[in-house]
Amino acid sequence: MKQKTPLLNWRLKSAVQIILKVKEHPLMDVQFDGWPILMNRLKTRKKRSKESKHHSPVAVTFPNNGFGFTSLPKAQNTQFKNATVWTNEAEGILTNTDVWVENGKIRAVGQNLSAPGTVEIDATGKHLTSGIIDEHSHIGASSINEGGHNSSAEVTIEDVINPDDINLYRNLSGGVTTLQILHGSANPIGGRSAIIKPRWGEDADGLLYKGAAPFIKFALGENVKQSNWSSYARFPQTRMGVEQVFVDYFQRAKEYQSEWSTYNSLGRKAKANTIAPRYDLEMETLVEILEGKRFISCHSYVQSEINMLMKVAERFGVTINTFTHILEGYKVADKMKDHGVGGSTFSDWWAYKFEVNDAIPYNGAIMHSQGVTVAFNSDDAEMSRRLNQEAAKAVKYGGVSEEDAWKFVTLNPAKLMHIDDQVGSVKVGKSADLVLWNNHPMSIYAVAEKTMIEGVFYYELDRATAQIEKIRQERNQLIQQMVEAKNGGAPTQKTPKKQAREFHCETLD
Amino acid sequence: MKNIIYLFSTFCLSFVAIAQQTPATIQGESILIVGATLHIGDGTIIENASLGMEDGKIVEIGSNESIGKEYAATINATGQHVYPGFIAANSTVGMVEIDAIRPTNDLNEIGTFLPNIRTLIAYNAESKVVESLRPNGILTAQIVPTRGRIAGSSTIVQLDAWNWEDAALKTDEGMHIYWPRSYRRGNPTKGEDPLVYDQKNYDKQVQNLDTYLKEAKTFNLKSEKKHLPHAALQAALGGDQQVYLHAKEKRQILDGIVFLQKHGIKKIVLVGGDDAYLILPFLKKNNIPVIVSRPHRLPNTPDEDVKLPFKMAKILMDAGLTITIDVSGRMERMNTRNLPFYAGTFAAYGVDKEKAVEMITLNAAKILGIEDRLGSLSVGKDATLFIAKGDALDMRTNQLSHAFIQGRKLSLKTHQTELWERYMEKFSRK
Repeated sequence: MKQKTPLLNWRLKSAVQIILKVKEHPLMDVQFDGWPILMNRLKTRKKRSKESKHHSPVAVTFPNNGFGFTSLPKAQNTQFKNATVWTNEAEGILTNTDVWVENGKIRAVGQNLSAPGTVEIDATGKHLTSGIIDEHSHIGASSINEGGHNSSAEVTIEDVINPDDINLYRNLSGGVTTLQILHGSANPIGGRSAIIKPRWGEDADGLLYKGAAPFIKFALGENVKQSNWSSYARFPQTRMGVEQVFVDYFQRAKEYQSEWSTYNSLGRKAKANTIAPRYDLEMETLVEILEGKRFISCHSYVQSEINMLMKVAERFGVTINTFTHILEGYKVADKMKDHGVGGSTFSDWWAYKFEVNDAIPYNGAIMHSQGVTVAFNSDDAEMSRRLNQEAAKAVKYGGVSEEDAWKFVTLNPAKLMHIDDQVGSVKVGKSADLVLWNNHPMSIYAVAEKTMIEGVFYYELDRATAQIEKIRQERNQLIQQMVEAKNGGAPTQKTPKKQAREFHCETLD
Repeated sequence: MKNIIYLFSTFCLSFVAIAQQTPATIQGESILIVGATLHIGDGTIIENASLGMEDGKIVEIGSNESIGKEYAATINATGQHVYPGFIAANSTVGMVEIDAIRPTNDLNEIGTFLPNIRTLIAYNAESKVVESLRPNGILTAQIVPTRGRIAGSSTIVQLDAWNWEDAALKTDEGMHIYWPRSYRRGNPTKGEDPLVYDQKNYDKQVQNLDTYLKEAKTFNLKSEKKHLPHAALQAALGGDQQVYLHAKEKRQILDGIVFLQKHGIKKIVLVGGDDAYLILPFLKKNNIPVIVSRPHRLPNTPDEDVKLPFKMAKILMDAGLTITIDVSGRMERMNTRNLPFYAGTFAAYGVDKEKAVEMITLNAAKILGIEDRLGSLSVGKDATLFIAKGDALDMRTNQLSHAFIQGRKLSLKTHQTELWERYMEKFSRK
């Protein structure tokens, strides 16, 4: 007890003055992790200003953040031996199967493969799947909504990628290998999205999915009507107005397109004598949609608005690619099938606003039963690292088969994002975006042990566990150095803890 | 007249379409469940066993052969699993129906010291959110107040009721104190960087609470002039009512517990307790049970173990603490039905599966003070239980065939299953 007295003194100096009048105190039994620092402070105080101390530098990491790499990881030719492989292909689930990864691609899938020069990983009793793909995410970005006016087609999330966001690493720990970072839902016509792979340690450009199809976010309903906060001045305020915004912009885009095509069809001489139409980035983006070169992922909730957008699009010869959220998709699943649009929904969210009053967890199963390509997305930094659990809810709610349910978070979002030629299944020639699970991937007890993107292990459970101890040591080292510096008379400043903001569709900046 | 009848029947029909499932009638005939795996709730299981229910109570448990009584009805549950009803602690279901719609919010009371506020009064027994919990095995919930330094008292309810009186199992069982935060987050709309700052008012807020409790203690019960908030605190101060301390940070937890003990409060339950793992011996020594934050949350800092929220139950249980799961957090009401999967996630990260069941059954009942009636499959306890196809902590097998509250056979339908059936029927018409 005696040796803990300084701790009590330390506490007394802090704000806990209420406890002043007690002799015996439970705080004395508290394991105080700053003990070594405190002792050190006492020691250095004695030595104060006798010697100037040289501080050993702490290495920066990629990214220079928690769980960064000291050097960038490299692709390695790997062989997973004896795994249960969820192919997402006609072969279905293969047991006792090897998967050979070479130069970032899947080279072979089969039994008793002989793969010279590879690192062998014993996957006996484990499950190997393709990586999880999140169609709707807002992590890894410095900003999400340009909500100034009702169309912001000129902005792109690709310009605001933040590769240091710890949520990218957390996603890797849950087996996520591809994400679409969508603009928010403040406007009927939102910004262009970024499709990325969470290549932890790379810079913003390094995260972008090379050659991915271009997308734009659209949105319908309460957010674009600004129904849930005090805003009564911006058009549209109703679903009637929302329709007219789309008709208006598509019409303007068509006219812009025709202005340019008229101008471009002029002879060289006539062109020289004519003023070119004004180049308009917003219109250029919308023309890409009209020309089928850019795809729409549209935030949507109730059946009336879903139906509306399909009809408006059809009038302009456009097919909506994806309805995202789409919580009443089950009410118009037949119409969606006819239009040719996919549904990327939540597994079981509802009741957070009026437009999700009829949102049901059977939505995915019903749309799937009508032939719609269905994905489950997160829209949430927390949920995206356990989308395997969300996929399993398609089994619980509506009885989707396990193989099909697993595709809700892998192959189907890949199809919706037009990248299924490269990712979304374990198939020879596709990118080696793979996850090794310690259990059936949709079991509640499943833990992702290794996450690989194009042959690189960006996440390994063992390594992460070792890193936690390293982080603790590094933190102690840094605190100690600061304490020493302070005691040595160095100037001090407040060091507020950094805490990144979490973005959702509705975050308005 | 015809029109009036027409109008009346239309009204009835529309009422049926929007109301909750009709609560079940009291148990008439005795029921025997045969051939099931019984998850007792105390960490053990009995395979291929039978369970008898009569007059709303469990009257017999044992091997299929050992059953002595005669039962009017038998449920063959061969290959299925019987669990005590799961218990949602620190929940707010029935207090807000739709988050974004303020008129449906009866949770956010105004004020700092609100000990006389009672959740029971506003609890909506007919909430669509409440009925959505039952098909996942959650049959009991603690309904807590959330606003103010002293937020008021909570009540334990059963989830198949006509009204709040009917729902109440244990009324005003706990007083809720939300400890001041020791830091705060910068507000970007006020031009601050989104960093974390010291909460400058911390000491003052603690002092205010101290003063308030001292005032309440000197409250004269015999006085003609009754101070209602002070009167409402007497049960907590006198040790008859449990006190729930809501605190996440280490400093909050330490200061809060020491403070409450100084005020003579003995029955303290910690709610949240994200930093509890840093002060395990302190919590153990003081015998503080923890309603631990749900695992489906993000770590608190970028360099915190990515899996720490998942590992928390294991860490606290290894230290010998009694714990259950706090269902609060983002989208907490609609996510309360995921309670079994919170327990399952804790099991994925080290907790034994049956111990994870115990966490949301017997241990929840112990912490909430209802273990005399609920929390385990034991003779003499309420027949509040359900039968599932398989492991109820796993999404794929959490499929209920039957659920009973006090022996009453519940409807497992909901607004949501009805819409499912309705639209599948629509699409089958082609």
